[in-house]
Amino acid sequence: MTAATKRREEETKRQVERAIGRSGIDWTSVWFSGALVVLLLTTLSILLVLIADILMKAWPTFQERGITFVTDGLSLNPATAGVFTAIVGSVMIATIVAVISFPIGIAAAVWLEEYAPNNRFTQFVDTTVRNLAGVPSIVYGLLGLAIFVPLVRALGLGGSSDGKNVLAAGITMAVLVLPIVVITAAEAVRAVPYSIREAGFGVGATQWEVIRSHVVPSALPGILTGTVLTLARAIGETAPLLVIGVATGYFAPAGDATLADQITGPYTALPVVVFSWSRQTQAEFANTLAPAAIIVLLAVLFILNGAAIWLRNRTEKKW
Amino acid sequence: MMKMKRTAVLIAAIALIAAACSSDGTTTTTTSGSGDPSVGGTVTISGSSTVEPISALNAEAFRARNPEVGISVEGPGTGDGIKKFCSGETDISGASRQIKDSEVEACGAAGIEFVELRVAVDGLSVLTSAGNTAVSCLSFADLYALLGPESLGFRDWSDANDLAGQITGANAPYPSAQLTVTGPGEESGTYNSFVELVLEDIADERGQEAQTRPDYTASANDNVIIEGISGSDTSLGWVGYAFFLANQDKVSALAVDGGDGCVSPTPQTIADGSYPIARPLFIYVNKEKAALNAAVDLYVDFYLSEDGLVNVDQAGYIRLADYAAVRAIWADRVTGMQSY
Repeated sequence: MTAATKRREEETKRQVERAIGRSGIDWTSVWFSGALVVLLLTTLSILLVLIADILMKAWPTFQERGITFVTDGLSLNPATAGVFTAIVGSVMIATIVAVISFPIGIAAAVWLEEYAPNNRFTQFVDTTVRNLAGVPSIVYGLLGLAIFVPLVRALGLGGSSDGKNVLAAGITMAVLVLPIVVITAAEAVRAVPYSIREAGFGVGATQWEVIRSHVVPSALPGILTGTVLTLARAIGETAPLLVIGVATGYFAPAGDATLADQITGPYTALPVVVFSWSRQTQAEFANTLAPAAIIVLLAVLFILNGAAIWLRNRTEKKW
Repeated sequence: MMKMKRTAVLIAAIALIAAACSSDGTTTTTTSGSGDPSVGGTVTISGSSTVEPISALNAEAFRARNPEVGISVEGPGTGDGIKKFCSGETDISGASRQIKDSEVEACGAAGIEFVELRVAVDGLSVLTSAGNTAVSCLSFADLYALLGPESLGFRDWSDANDLAGQITGANAPYPSAQLTVTGPGEESGTYNSFVELVLEDIADERGQEAQTRPDYTASANDNVIIEGISGSDTSLGWVGYAFFLANQDKVSALAVDGGDGCVSPTPQTIADGSYPIARPLFIYVNKEKAALNAAVDLYVDFYLSEDGLVNVDQAGYIRLADYAAVRAIWADRVTGMQSY
């Protein structure tokens, strides 16, 4: 052993002894964790101030109108304007998004993680999906107007809205959230330990059997959380709907309209109502009605997120 | 057992969705296009977002009287609305400016005849913050010097003194105070009206392009513009009169001199035309659709009735001094552009 190595060893030994033998409080750590807490509280307080501000502005509406604000329909008359039509529209869009994007997205994720060979094509698909998740939502609105509105019309589902209905909006939103569904589902599938698969293969299960009874059930909590959060995104988006065409003023179905007519007719959605009301002339709209609609939108989102957490807890597995 | 049950439920669910989808398809194809001989049917209204509130309030009141009528109102903008109108997608289109010659041609090419009806007047209001007492009246020349294309970069009212000196009718020198400008964006009808009514003539004279200075804070939301104007004591900006009316505690309207002295915007001065920067609001009605569809016909009748005009006030706009001429145009279904 050379003298230099010996010296280095001595130095390390001294350092370790000093670190272990240190007594009292680790001030650096205290300072650092304190700073983190301050940053966290700043973030939270911004959110709280925002919500408190909106709640205060919205309060008169809920006080005067009570439940009728939620049960009344779209209107530009401040005395009768409510969010019921918008809630119906948003729920219908969310349903279509779930029906279209969840099966496709989860299937794509399972293929990418379990079946896809690691070649240039798979890498290309993977990169493309990630890039699509970052495309601004208004671009999907243009896509919807150029492709899905004519598609819905061509299928004979245009109805009285000439294709600018919840079907076109739902398909557009489904395509918008699809990349995010794929990414979150793929993460969940990837998080399943490989030993789980090996256990299946070990007892002679085929790949299909392993995926069906091991991988997907194990990944389900993650997949569910991800998918429900993407639903929240679909409900909150405004820009694509404005591009596709959404009723902002008033609409009502004809007296002889069937349920199908109403589904294919004009529609509106919660964020669109907030947007439209915030630019109305009558001061009540911007000052109290739009904040009240924001509170309803937030409530819907909280319910969805709550459902996501509940589903995750119900299906969660510990390794 | 469990597995079989689950699979059965899954199949049932898929079958249900499929059934729901297919029934949608069949019923739609049979019912769409069938017109109710009594007052049923649908009225589709698009066009200017400025006119949208009047049309929407009228639609709601009209639907309350004719519960069998289907009706929808949207407001993507005057230009977009007329494009749809001239391709036959809508029955009625609101407009915050008169239809252009090119649009008349497009309508004509598609074989669509329209009835032009003036339904209300909107005064453009030149606003400053409620705290600003130094200025009370601006002429077109002042507005050109402060907001026109040559005012690019002026951050202080006094920066415009030299330019104002070259234009007749300007009240220069201006006090030295910060100049912050907030107004509607270029896509808006309110922007176009302001350029046309105030800036165009002087810009033509001086060989400039008819536009505002590009360096101001623009917003498509008039309530945001009001916030911007009230945010600085020596601000300047413009919005529709209705937005001034709703925010008189935050902003004050400047009188405008269009060559005949200073006139403040009030319902009277806007209605009788003495306030120099007022613009008419129109609805365009598809003549053929009104003839074929009783709902469209009755809706326009209602629009021009006293009960319908109440909604002009409710939406914050000014009624015309007299509706006799407009009602006569509608009664005779006079097509094409009118001159005023």
